[in-house]
Amino acid sequence: MARYGMALDYKNCIDCKACESACKEENGVLLGADKHRIWVGTKEVEGEFPFLSISSSGFVPSQCQHCEAAPCQEVCPTNATYYDENGVVRVDADKCILCTYCMNACPYDARYVDDRTMTVDKCNFCSDTRLARGETTTACQNTCPTKVRTFGDLDDPYSEISELLRRRDHYSLKAHLGTKPKLFYLT
Amino acid sequence: MSIKEFVASIPVNKVGFKDIFGYEKTPRNLILTVLTFGLLAMFAAGVGLYLLHGHHAYNVTREHPWGLLLAAYIFFVVSSTGLCIIGSLGDVFGFKDYELISKRAIFGSIVTILSGFAVILFEIGHPVTMVIYNVLTPGLTSAIWWMGTLYGLYLTFMIIEFVFLLKGDAKFAKYFGLVGLIIGLAAHSNLGAVFGFLNARPISNGVYFPMYFILTAFITGVFIAYLFMGFRYKLKFPERVKKMLTNLGKIQIFLLSFLAFFMTWKMLTDLYGGMPNRADVAHHILGSWTFWAEVILVIVIPLLVLLKDMGRSHVAMFYASFSGMAGIAFMRYNLIHDTQVKPLQMLKVYEYQLPPTWIHYSPSAAEWMISLGGIGLCITLYYLGTKFFNLDADEGHAEQKA
Ligand code: SF4
Ligand code: SF4
Repeated sequence: MARYGMALDYKNCIDCKACESACKEENGVLLGADKHRIWVGTKEVEGEFPFLSISSSGFVPSQCQHCEAAPCQEVCPTNATYYDENGVVRVDADKCILCTYCMNACPYDARYVDDRTMTVDKCNFCSDTRLARGETTTACQNTCPTKVRTFGDLDDPYSEISELLRRRDHYSLKAHLGTKPKLFYLT
Repeated sequence: MSIKEFVASIPVNKVGFKDIFGYEKTPRNLILTVLTFGLLAMFAAGVGLYLLHGHHAYNVTREHPWGLLLAAYIFFVVSSTGLCIIGSLGDVFGFKDYELISKRAIFGSIVTILSGFAVILFEIGHPVTMVIYNVLTPGLTSAIWWMGTLYGLYLTFMIIEFVFLLKGDAKFAKYFGLVGLIIGLAAHSNLGAVFGFLNARPISNGVYFPMYFILTAFITGVFIAYLFMGFRYKLKFPERVKKMLTNLGKIQIFLLSFLAFFMTWKMLTDLYGGMPNRADVAHHILGSWTFWAEVILVIVIPLLVLLKDMGRSHVAMFYASFSGMAGIAFMRYNLIHDTQVKPLQMLKVYEYQLPPTWIHYSPSAAEWMISLGGIGLCITLYYLGTKFFNLDADEGHAEQKA
């Protein structure tokens, strides 16, 4: 089985939000500012006017980090949040009781409540849609015009993502928390 | 003895509709009745709103998913654990002076936890699913799982203990009481751990809350003991009760001082070194009026009253206990709010055009109604208990009659 992850060449991001739209469309995420599986963060320009550092501003796409030691999974009382065979962190809506403990425990603010099922939802690497159809991309990767995102199997040494991570320096967010994210930001 | 015979042998007063409403119609009692019915109506209305609108009846958001209902739940179960501790002093640990409140406190612990469950029932999105999957796929690393499961068990033991107390079987009451107390403390510290385990929230993370919860439960128990005794004896305490209250007052002086000490060190460690996500939140807490309401109502006022003559002003302490309980309500609210007040942000510097700020939350009408309604449930169940059961210690009861 695969161990899916994603590398983000975030400096290429132009904040077009195509990935957000594609994700909503692909996975039927409801509209609304509070309901999103992925988002593009905006880094503030640093410095005091007029000494602004233009290069400090930037766009940083983010989403569920598919942690290998996921706090959301650890705190879930009914095991509604689980790792699937591809290492993707998933939510089983039938088991979720909406205690929202996972929303508080996730250090990445990656979870939201789906109003239709009234259960917690988040990015699942298109496991229910694309991957289930046998495709090997995610909607966000597929749509990104500047190829910020590379999705793939971290265990496969020949995959594009493994290649990228070998070649390029990268970091993960809030690494000090020991959650072992599988989203990698290429520097 | 068959189960049927056993149940039949539990002493229960024969109470009719008339007896329930046949209390002295003093102005105070009438006000209390109207208030209680008002609270019960609120509960019903709140639940109605919830049934109509689901979770949308609440003001909780993605960033602040825990709201007033959770605080209310914690308030009730803390009261329950506290009463369990007070009840155990007499019938588990055998401190004679406290025996006269044991039965009442244990009954109180049952009533308060039932009210807590009634409130949380409407907070959890899918309570039925919870019951099923708590058993089928238990999340053993989840503090919520342990807290919920242990509280369920605790309630069972409290009920059995209470039955044995009613039957005057001190031995079995003691055994069940001891196990119930241990499970209750485990459950309650797990409730603290629900916050303590949040690695993502440095302000709550750590061992502090599991211990603090036990300490504040004991404090809450003492406050409620004063309220119970005050209402029971209409503020004219017999000698034995006075003696017990004085002792409880002295214990409370110790507990409150310890709490002040605890909180001081918690605050200092939070502030020290200016650690991000912790020191800034601590500053924010120190600047919030709800924090100072908590400190003044729980610690300052009761401690001043107690220290005046080392716990001998029982009537004053009865009133100070109202202050204490109001403060405890603030304490629970502060706990849930302060945990979530700092946005995790995750690079969403402008979350869809909103500039970054502290996260705001104010409870909705439905949340207020269900939470306050829980108090109505408590009062009602407790009142019914005083009618159906003899909650006085048997000796004390005889003394009272004589
Ligand atoms: S990013 Fe959050 S939701 Fe995703 S796996 Fe990690 S803790 Fe869970
Ligand atoms: S809200 Fe659902 S997925 Fe999250 S911890 Fe609770 S039961 Fe698990």
